[in-house]
Order: sequence, then C-alpha cells, then structure tokens
Amino acid sequence: MTEQKPAEEAKANPEDRRIGVYICHCGGNISDYVDVEAVRDALVDEPGVVVSTTELFACSDGTQHDMIDAIKAKGLDGLVVASCSPKLHQVTFRNVANRAGMNPYAYTQANVREQASWAHQHDRAGATEKVIGLVRSAVAKTRLSDELHPLRFDTVQRSLVVGGGITGLRAAIGLADIGLEAVVVEKAPEVGGWMGRFGASFPSEASGKDQIASLMAQIKDRRDITVYTSAELTSKAGTFGNYTVGITLHRDGGDKELSLDVGSIVVATGFDSYNPDDGEYGYGMDGVVTLPEFKELIDTAPAVGKLSYQGRPVRSVAYIYCVGSRQGAGGNEYCSKFCCTSAIHSSLLVNKIDPSIRQFHLYRDIRAYGKFELEYGASRGAGSTYLKFADDAPPTVEKLPKGGLGVTVTDLLTASREVILPVDLVVLVTGMVPRQNKSLIDLLKLPVGTDGFFNEIHPKLRPVETVVDGVMIAGCCQAPRTAAESVQAGLAAVAQSAALLKKGYAELEPLVAKIDPDKCVGSGECLSVCPYESITMIEWDGRQIASVDPSTCKGCGGCVPLCGVDAIDLLGYTDAQMRSAIEELISAEAPTKAEAVKEPVS
Amino acid sequence: MATMVNPNLITDLQKFGAPDINACYSCGNCTAICPLADNDATFPRRFIRLAQVGLTDELVTSKELWTCYQCGMCTARCPQEADPAEFMATARRYAIAKLDKSGVARAMYTSPVAAAVISLLGVLVFGGFFASVKAAPADRLVFGVPYEWIHLVGLVVMILVALVAVVNLAMMARATAKREGVTGKSLFGSKQAWGRTLRALWSAIGVESLGQKRYREDCADDQPAEPLYRRRWLIHFLTLWGFLALFAATLIHYGGDIIGVPESVAESVISPIARVIGTIGGLAMMYGVTWFGINRYQKVSAAAQHTSLSDWMFLGMLWLTGLTGFIIEVSLYLPQAHPQPWAYVLFLVHVAIAMELVLFMPFTKFAHVMYRPVALFFYALSRESHKQLQSA
Ligand SMILES: Cc1cc2nc3c(=O)[nH]c(=O)nc-3n(C[C@H](O)[C@H](O)[C@H](O)COP(=O)(O)OP(=O)(O)OC[C@H]3O[C@@H](n4cnc5c(N)ncnc54)[C@H](O)[C@@H]3O)c2cc1C
Ligand code: HEM
Ligand code: SF4
Ligand code: SF4
Repeated sequence: MTEQKPAEEAKANPEDRRIGVYICHCGGNISDYVDVEAVRDALVDEPGVVVSTTELFACSDGTQHDMIDAIKAKGLDGLVVASCSPKLHQVTFRNVANRAGMNPYAYTQANVREQASWAHQHDRAGATEKVIGLVRSAVAKTRLSDELHPLRFDTVQRSLVVGGGITGLRAAIGLADIGLEAVVVEKAPEVGGWMGRFGASFPSEASGKDQIASLMAQIKDRRDITVYTSAELTSKAGTFGNYTVGITLHRDGGDKELSLDVGSIVVATGFDSYNPDDGEYGYGMDGVVTLPEFKELIDTAPAVGKLSYQGRPVRSVAYIYCVGSRQGAGGNEYCSKFCCTSAIHSSLLVNKIDPSIRQFHLYRDIRAYGKFELEYGASRGAGSTYLKFADDAPPTVEKLPKGGLGVTVTDLLTASREVILPVDLVVLVTGMVPRQNKSLIDLLKLPVGTDGFFNEIHPKLRPVETVVDGVMIAGCCQAPRTAAESVQAGLAAVAQSAALLKKGYAELEPLVAKIDPDKCVGSGECLSVCPYESITMIEWDGRQIASVDPSTCKGCGGCVPLCGVDAIDLLGYTDAQMRSAIEELISAEAPTKAEAVKEPVS
Repeated sequence: MATMVNPNLITDLQKFGAPDINACYSCGNCTAICPLADNDATFPRRFIRLAQVGLTDELVTSKELWTCYQCGMCTARCPQEADPAEFMATARRYAIAKLDKSGVARAMYTSPVAAAVISLLGVLVFGGFFASVKAAPADRLVFGVPYEWIHLVGLVVMILVALVAVVNLAMMARATAKREGVTGKSLFGSKQAWGRTLRALWSAIGVESLGQKRYREDCADDQPAEPLYRRRWLIHFLTLWGFLALFAATLIHYGGDIIGVPESVAESVISPIARVIGTIGGLAMMYGVTWFGINRYQKVSAAAQHTSLSDWMFLGMLWLTGLTGFIIEVSLYLPQAHPQPWAYVLFLVHVAIAMELVLFMPFTKFAHVMYRPVALFFYALSRESHKQLQSA
C-alpha cells in the first residue's frame, strides 16, 4: 500500500493560495434570486482568491475548458464553484481540476442553489448575503486543503464463490477463464443446487443433472478452480481486494479449518422452494404434491408409458398455480417468475409420457413471458385446459367419496361457473422463498430486502454489487428467476470481479480518518464507535495507540468528535478546515443590503 | 352449485370429428363476428369452452347449439384456426348421440361398420315389412322366414323407433326448459304467458323452420361462396319444402286408401293431385340435395369443408328416395298395363329407404328436424320474455 504524502507546505501559508472562484447563474436558477455580480465583487478581494467570475452554466463544456485554461494560466491551486449540490457536480469539477493538473481534493463546491437561491426566492438581499457567506466559507476551507491522493493497494487475484448451484459453478468457470483463481464453497455434500436435482428442464429439455455434470467436467479441466463441498464460510476479515476468509470443512473425522486470501466474494446461495402449510390447498392429503415433488415423479417415470403415483396410475392432473407467491400484503408478495413456465413445461413432459393424461391448469395469470409463451401455446395444443380463478376465490381440494381428489374452482373463463374437477393428482405450483442463511448474512453484512432476498445496489445499473465493496450477489439469492437468468447474474459478477481485481490494484477515496500518533493517548474510545471496525490498537513508540485502516474506513467521521484529545482528523474535512469554514460563515461581514444589492433590471 | 366435470369429454368429442378444440384460447372473435350471437344466444366461444372444461350436459342441452346455421364466418375469423363452425357441427352430432339413450345413434356415428350394418338391417326389415303387407299368409319371403314374423318384427321395430324418437325429443325439450328456467306456469300461467308461447311457436315453426328467415338473412355472408342457385339457404329451402311436399303426397295417396275413399274417386281426383304435388316436391328436393352433394364434394364454402359419413349417408338416403320415386313414377307411364316385377322390387326399396329415413330420425343427421324447432322455440321464448321485461 502506498503511503499518503502529507502536504504540509500547502498549509504553511493559506493566504498565499491561488484560488479560483466561479459563481454560476445556473441559467436563472441562481441568478434570478441572487445578485451574482455582488457575490463576485464581494469575493474579489478575499485573501488567496485570484479569480472571481460568474458563469451562465459552469458545468457546460465550454466553461469547463475555460476553467482548465485559467487554472493552467494563473497557476491556481484551489477551486471553488458556487453552484448546485455537490451530489450533482462534485465529480465533474474534481475532474476539471484533475485535467488541469491541480489536486482534485483542492476543489470545494458551495451549494448555493438548493441552499440559497431556491430556498429564499422572496428575499433577494438575504439570499445574496447568504451566498456570499457560503462562498467565503468554501474558500476558507479550500485555503487549508491538503494535497490528497487516492489510496492504492494491490488486489488478490482470487475470488471466493459461496454456493455451488448452477450460478456459482458457472461463475467459477468464468472467473478461471478471465484469469482469476476461483474457490467454490458449497454447504451441501453435493454441488448442483436445485438444477442438480432435476431431469428435463425448460427451455428445450436439457436435463438439469446433465448440465451440472457438464459444468463439473469443465471445472475439472481447469487448474484454477477448487471446489469444497460440505463446507462453509465461517470468517471474513480485511477489505475488498484483500479479504482473508476462513472456511470450515465438515469432514467425517471432524471439522477442518482453512484460511484463504481472496479479492472478491460472489454470493450465489440460491433459494428454497415454498413449503405449503398443512392443509394449504389440501397439502398433506394423499395425492397432493409440490412442484419439486412432481418433477421428481416425472423424472422417475418411463419415457413413454404410464405415470403413476404411489403405485396408482395417474389419469388426470390439476395444477394450482401461484402457491406461496403473490400472496398479498404480509405474505410473499412477489411473483416467483419461473413457476408458470415450469408447470407448463412439466405438463408437456407428462404429455410425452402418456398423451391421454388429462391436465387442468388452475391459474391467476399465466406469466410464461418472452419465448416461454410458445410452451404455453404448445401445452394448450397438446390438450391442457386452463381455468382462471380470481385472486380472492382460490380453488379448494377435497377427497371425493368415490376416490380420487376433487378440485373445486370458479372458472372466470366459463362465465364464472363453479366446477369440480375429479383428478388423481393435484400439483401445487410452489414458488421460491429466500433461503435461511442467517450466519452468512451476519458474516458478510449482506443487505436483505423486505422480501428476504438479497438487495443489489441498483437493479439496472449495478445489478450484482452490494453496498459492501467486493461482495457480489448472483442468481436466485437475489430474487426468483430462471436458471438462465441466474447464470447471467453469475457472469455479471465475474465481470465485476474482474473489473475490481484484474488491474492488480484498486483505488479508494483518500477522504478517511487519520490519527495523529503523537496526540493519541490510547484510550481506545473510538474503537467501539466505528461501524466498519476500521480502528485497531497498535504499538507505536512503545505505547498502545489507535490506528485507522484507510482501506476499510469509509470517512464517515463518526470517530472524530469522540476523541477526547482531538487526535483524529478526517482528511479533506480536517478540524482546521471546518473550523475556518464555520468562522467565515458566522463572522462574515456582509455588505449592507442597501448599497451592495442591485435589484434585477426588469 | 358446483358441477362435476367430465374429464373425458374432449376425447369423446373427438370421435365425432371435433377439430382442434384445444387450439381455442377463448378470445371471443368468433362470438363477435357471429351474426346469430346475441344476448339470448352466446356462442360459439362458450361452447368450445364447455367442451374444454368438460361440462357435457350444458353442451348438449343448450338451445344455442341448434340455432347455429353453420355459415362458417367464425371459422374464417378465428386467429387460432380452431374451426369453431366445424366444432358446432361436431357438438350437434355429439348431442344427437348423447340425447339418444338407446345408444344406436352413438354406434352409428362412431363406427362406420355399425352404421352400415344398422342401415342395411333397417332397409331389410322395413322392406320386408312392406312386402309382407301384400303377401299371402303362406308365402315365404326371405330364406324361408314366414311373412307373419317379418310383419311382426317390422311393426315392433317401427313402434320402438318411433317411441325412441318421442322420448328423445321429450327429454331434450325438458332439459332445455330446465336450463332456460321455463316451467308450465311460465308457458301457460297467464294470458301474457299464453301470448308469449304462441308468438314463440309461430317464430320457431313458421318463421324459422318453414320460412328459414335467419338462415336466409343473417347467415348470408357479404361475399357468399356460392352463387344464388346453389346457395345454402336456397337449396335447403327447396330440400325442406320438397321433402314436405313428398310427405304430403304420400299421405294423400295412402290416406285415401286408409280412410276408405272409393277407388273411382281415388283414381280420378286424389291420385292426380298427389302426383302433381309429389312431382314438384321431388324435383325441388332432388335439386337441393344434388347441390348439397356437389357443394360438399367441391368443398365450396366453410360449411362444406368437412364431411362425415353421417353427412353423406343423410344426403345419400334423401337422394336415393327421390331417385327411386321418380323411376317408379316413370314406370307407371310405360306401355305395359301392369307394373313390372322389377318395378315392384324398386318400389319396395323406395319405401324401405324412405321409412328408414324418417324412422331413423333420432339416430341420424335428420334429427335436426326435431331438435332445431324445439331449440328455436326456447330461443324465441327467451326473446319474448326479454321484450316483455323491457316494456314493463
Ligand atoms: C421445481 C423447480 C423447477 C425448476 N425448473 C427450472 C427449469 O426447468 N428451467 C430453469 O431455467 N429454471 C428452473 N428452476 C429455477 C432454477 O432452479 C433456479 O433458477 C436455479 O436453481 C438457481 O440457481 P442458483 O445457483 O442461484 O441457486 P440454487 O440452485 O439454490 O443453488 C444454491 C447453492 O448454494 C448452496 N448454499 C446455500 N447457502 C449456502 C451457504 N451458506 N454456504 C455454502 N453454500 C450454500 C446450496 O446448497 C445450493 O447448492 C426451477 C426451480 C424449481 C424449484
Ligand atoms: C323436412 C325438413 C328438413 C329437411 C329435409 C332438411 C334437409 C337438410 C339437409 C339435406 C341438410 C344437409 C345439408 C348439407 O349436407 O350440407 C340439412 C342441413 C341443415 N338443416 Fe335441414 N332439413 C329440414 C329441416 C330443417 C329445419 C326445420 C331447420 C332449421 C330451422 C334446418 C336447418 C338446417 C341447417 C342449419 C343445416 C346445416 C347444418 C348442418 O349440416 O348441421 N333444417 N338439412
Ligand atoms: S410465475 Fe406464475 S405461478 Fe409463479 S408466482 Fe408468477 S404468476 Fe404465479
Ligand atoms: S374459436 Fe377461435 S375465435 Fe372463437 S374464442 Fe376460440 S380462438 Fe377465439
């Protein structure tokens, strides 16, 4: 890790800084309510200010170029733009500074739009006065800015994959192929997850078992993949790019511990199948099965011949859709997405085994989206009958006196006629639920949504990253989805791991807490307050002092006020900077409203 | 009330020639385009649905089944090529079989062999019966079977079959009435009710069955496939009236005999009248039936795309009855004073086929003659009730 250069020289004489101040009109968003010329004039003579000017749109390409030219020509070493919120353009102007060869952390944005012009539209004089204060304060902070550089550290060229389902296995192959070592940790004694249990699966009829076997064959061909089964992730330390993880291998002779360095962690722990309550749609009755149970029944049936359940021939089947999904407030509100297609696909498999089996599908909405629509059409063509029930009128299942099961449903497609379907087998089309994984969630601080699945940062733009740097999620642990979609997420996590690790180093914002070892008395009070566990006690000059790990510190500043001896500073927001900024704000001698503020010419 | 479905209905229907019932996805295009579907008669979509789900009773005892004239417009508009028009025809075949509790119709519809054997047996029995009428007691007709036996068998079969027809029709009428919520009281309970009933009867028998009004008006497509001289409603109109005329001629001829009109009167007055009516009727029917056959052979329109054995048999028997009738008539004008023996045999054949046609009505496509007017009556009744409700 490269050490950070202290910039003591800059601090030596703040008055000698060469700061450029740009006051933005923001079209009229600012200038309509603030006398921007008065602000400019008020700043011209500030100590250290070399340029003070107004711009129609500071963020426009043209102005950005002008700024770069000015920084170069006038040798500016500080930049203040009085404009909108830093959330919008802080990065823009830091980049302007960077491109001009100035330290980007010597840039300060004064938010005079949200905090002044918009907020005080009926008080031009007051708003102008406030803007002058805000800009002076920003200048004061900039005067004391240090030269900071991004933290750079080497990354471990290895990723950990938690979960050896189809997502995790495919991701491991992707990692190896992109040049990263992959270690798969699978809790179960066998890899494969749910797909590893099934035979023919949609689309086409490729067998899930075969697909897992083929992935395992590909894994064997690659030296850079290690797969641990009956294994669990039990500890994690360090930071992204440099995690140290502990893995426990459950072996006959007792548990074995393993320690590994990894750069990123891909969580692919999948889902569980919904387990109906006793009596839910007749579950527990002889002849009422869940979708996974039914798939097993199909897998063990002859390719062509008779389908039988517990030795009895199956002549008719009723599927009840959306069991455990779309339950409404308080329950599983989401759609499990794969189950319509899976049930339809299963019914086509049944048709292949014995075309004379009569199949009824009781659904709320058919969500065989995209190309799966064709399977839906094919199943109707093959003789399946679809009956639609209302959300508030679910079907009921009971035993018929003459044997077999009777499913009673009010069919919206037959003029809401209530009918009883006499069938041999009822298949509850059960959806997906989040897998119980509490210790893993606690260990990795995985963000869990209200539905129990893991949350990515942004569903569209950052679909596999979590708020924990270097920890990615992929597959059905994020949300219900098909195997293909799960694998896509797995490969996205591969690409994201490569983006983090393949350069060989990673960079972090230098805006972190820093402890002055001379001042620190080693009370250790700050240790308990850091939410990221970044502070540890170290030996320094023969005594114990606190020290911040810059690679895990997020720069939240929580520890700063807690230190009784003011030994902690937040780089970029040092005590000196903040004090000076505040002083400027409260002592600012504003020009009297009457003389300085010109009303707009109307 | 929940109804238990029949999971095997689709498979069963398929034996009657159903097109791809499962192709239908209930969009309702067919109902939208159907010129006959209205508030009192929603089809064909609903019927396909009944078949898919397995609601047998509702399928076979709904009046709408028999208000469809099979114009084929629905089939042309169906996005799924489910052929709803052919489905309706199949459902009618199925209904004829289902309404016939004797099982003969089912056997004839589902097995060509059974159809051939039963038809042949019918012709033999009815022919034998007729021959026995004129035979001497000691005559041995076929394979030495005494004529009394034949006579008896023929009589029993005739009575039985007639009974079956009456029972089937009564059951169908009762089930439809129940489905429509029609009771004795709602038919005859008040002066208003009587008015409704009589108007509905006139509409069903007069306007629709004999006048074929909607067949002619509503079911005429904008661009009918057939030119006017062979358009379906016209050739059906001629077939129907031709048949009625022939029936009337027969009644006049033998009716005189039975009520004992003197031979001289019969010879000079009744016979010529009967002969004129019969000749005109025969020509009309032969024209209609011949074109029906040609239309079917050429698959000229949607209604003629699929022809089942029962369609051919029905047309064939009508045609044979007409043809034999004409040959016999011609033979009467031949120079010989007395009919030739071959003419007598032909006469027997003619009578046997004609009897079979009429008596086998509950087992064949001809059943539409008894079911359609009843269904049309309930349809008209439901409209009358609506009208009265609206004006009230
Ligand atoms: C009945 C049914 C039929 C389906 N049919 C199809 C189909 O035909 N086509 C299709 O595309 N999709 C189908 N799916 C969906 C498909 O199963 C999933 O999309 C796919 O399994 C998701 O893969 P995954 O690896 O994300 O999760 P999983 O398959 O659940 O695998 C997760 C793995 O992680 C392991 N794991 C969990 N927690 C830990 C932990 N803490 N430490 C270590 N390992 C852990 C688990 O043991 C498991 O092996 C079906 C689903 C069901 C229920
Ligand atoms: C003596 C009475 C009748 C005779 C001889 C008769 C004759 C026929 C014949 C020969 C066909 C076959 C047409 C074909 O092959 O395409 C037919 C069909 C048809 N008839 Fe009649 N019919 C009679 C009464 C009626 C009545 C009363 C109605 C309706 C009110 C009716 C409506 C129809 C319809 C709609 C068809 C075509 C549908 C189908 O083939 O199922 N018929 N009829
Ligand atoms: S995919 Fe279909 S069965 Fe599954 S929850 Fe969604 S709508 Fe219901
Ligand atoms: S028969 Fe055809 S047109 Fe009619 S509802 Fe079915 S799919 Fe639609």
